[in-house]
Amino acid sequence: MGTVMSAAPSRRLLRPPRAEGGPGALASHLSKAITIKGDLESDGELHINGKVQGQICADRLVIGPGGYLEGDVIARDVHIEGRMEGRIFALNVTLDSTAEVNGRIFHNTITVAKGARIDARMPWRPPSYFETLETLPEARQ
Amino acid sequence: MSMFNRNDKETDVSAPDKPRDVTSASVAAMPKPIQPVAAPAPTPDLSSAKSAGPSVISKALKITGQLESTEDIRIDGEVEGDIHGVSVTVGHGAKVKGSVYGQTVELAGTIEGKIEAKKVILTSTAHMAGDVIHQDIRIESGAYIDGHCRPGTNKTDYKPAVKPN
Repeated sequence: MGTVMSAAPSRRLLRPPRAEGGPGALASHLSKAITIKGDLESDGELHINGKVQGQICADRLVIGPGGYLEGDVIARDVHIEGRMEGRIFALNVTLDSTAEVNGRIFHNTITVAKGARIDARMPWRPPSYFETLETLPEARQ
Repeated sequence: MSMFNRNDKETDVSAPDKPRDVTSASVAAMPKPIQPVAAPAPTPDLSSAKSAGPSVISKALKITGQLESTEDIRIDGEVEGDIHGVSVTVGHGAKVKGSVYGQTVELAGTIEGKIEAKKVILTSTAHMAGDVIHQDIRIESGAYIDGHCRPGTNKTDYKPAVKPN
């Protein structure tokens, strides 16, 4: 995998949601024209319609229809309409009918729409697993 | 077994735009070490509406790495790395450590690094530590600048080809 793992942080990976401002105020949008190589950290919402290579920590991540993520994501909510290759660590995962996921989906609740293409293991974990996650498990396989 | 029961409560798998019910129901049923799910985000279809607009890096977002876009970028958060865009706006309170390349770069926040653009605007709240290579520059009163301002070559394009690292 070509993902860049940042030096193992000792703090918890799952970001607590920010209290201030509405959810819209903190939402970041990456348009389809953008390519990012690197790690993203947000305690708000993140919409990806472009291409991202790297690790993402966010409160909520949405990969739009044209979006592509190569790397791991740690979030409270993950909604995928685009493509993704890597691991998902999220309490709530929603895969839309246009989703294409390759990798692993660590989840507490998951919704998969008819039509989604999934080539992934989907291990269930209790909420505490995500809350206390400090480093991602090493092996991909 | 309980997994099946949980799924029975919520049968509309085909309605991906309201997964909220699933989450709140199931999380409430769990012993909760923290507050339940974050404030529900009521705008799941915003993503498709916004897919054509500029990229927005909100103040909640920190990026470590390189950004490249063939469209406009607005940064209100933090970026550590180089930015290549057409029109790059670094908003008030935003922080960039690295070089910013574009046709137009407007700065109201902080850049530690370099700006290389055809048109550069430093607003009154701008804090620029590093060189500015430009063809056309506007510096408003109040802007802080520590570095060289020099006109770039008259070649038309901003050049993302040469990457200082």
